[in-house]
Amino acid sequence: MMTMATGFGIGLCFGAILYLGGASSYRKILGTLLLKDMTIIKLMMTAVGVGSLGVYLLDFGGLANMSIKPAYVWGVIGGGAIFGIGWAISGYCPGTCVVGTSEGKKDALATLAGALVGALIFSFAFPSLDQLLMQNANFGKITLESLLGVNGIYLAIPFSLALLFTAFFVLKDQYE
Amino acid sequence: MNDQPIISWKAAGIALGLLLTLATFLVKPLGVSTQFVVTDAVVMHQIAPKLAEDNQYLAKYGEKSDWSIDYGWMLVFGMLVGGAICSALFSTRQPDADKGSMPPMWSAKFGPSELNRYAAAFAGGFLLLFGARLAGGCTSGHMISGISQLAISSFIFGVTTFTVAIITAKLLYREKGDLS
Repeated sequence: MMTMATGFGIGLCFGAILYLGGASSYRKILGTLLLKDMTIIKLMMTAVGVGSLGVYLLDFGGLANMSIKPAYVWGVIGGGAIFGIGWAISGYCPGTCVVGTSEGKKDALATLAGALVGALIFSFAFPSLDQLLMQNANFGKITLESLLGVNGIYLAIPFSLALLFTAFFVLKDQYE
Repeated sequence: MNDQPIISWKAAGIALGLLLTLATFLVKPLGVSTQFVVTDAVVMHQIAPKLAEDNQYLAKYGEKSDWSIDYGWMLVFGMLVGGAICSALFSTRQPDADKGSMPPMWSAKFGPSELNRYAAAFAGGFLLLFGARLAGGCTSGHMISGISQLAISSFIFGVTTFTVAIITAKLLYREKGDLS
């Protein structure tokens, strides 16, 4: 019950940040993908810059509940490519279509409906895709930390600084 | 000129990074796409229980006792409520170009048909979740949470997704004569 309340609270903040930051806007997402408007990419780089430092500081203190996704190369590449096409067509991702729906945007609701059907069709395709794409070339839950054998905090600090530097000082808001 | 989001990318990015850190401390990192399967599984267990139990992917979720409605599902439900509250409070400050169901950018390129826009959005949504489940995550779980954890799979997902999405967007919005 407590974890459910925690989830709800974190979701409230997540939805609020995406809405207020403009991530549920078709214009902002397509501007990003057309490489004209860097607002959303800077938002994401800042989030990952702060997040990687935060997560690995927690981990350094033994306080992080990490959740690493396994690197099954073909499935991740294939799924990522299909996802990329869907992202550019709809202008939403799974999280922002939820927020867009809550704003009353009908195209976000259509994306949400398509997403529910896509997940269902995937469930039925899963047995035939699993062996080929998700078991082959599966390197397990590897990270830069486990690959390089260095404590993650020493990787997260320079990674974080590089992302924040790029977002704050290198990228411009608009490109024409 | 009011065409920028209500809060700056700096504020939103820092808040999201801190929220991810808090979530990782309290329960686990942020993720969205699994909950679409959970929702499907709950519905399928109600309307076609035999089909749901025979499916090795759906059978993992949506059982009768708790329906798998846990931290993750409540998080996505919270996003729906959080978005609704903010949009009720702040919609007057939202740029006009970001309002409504028909993005002006879309109509300028593909015409005023709402049906076309919704059909494309539906097809896009279908691809989003089919792809996300195959890859094991979406923008939240892979790109924000996964790359923050320096996960190799998430770097692969991030690079592939952005590359393909940029190419698709450029093709959709190409000017006549760009590609002949």
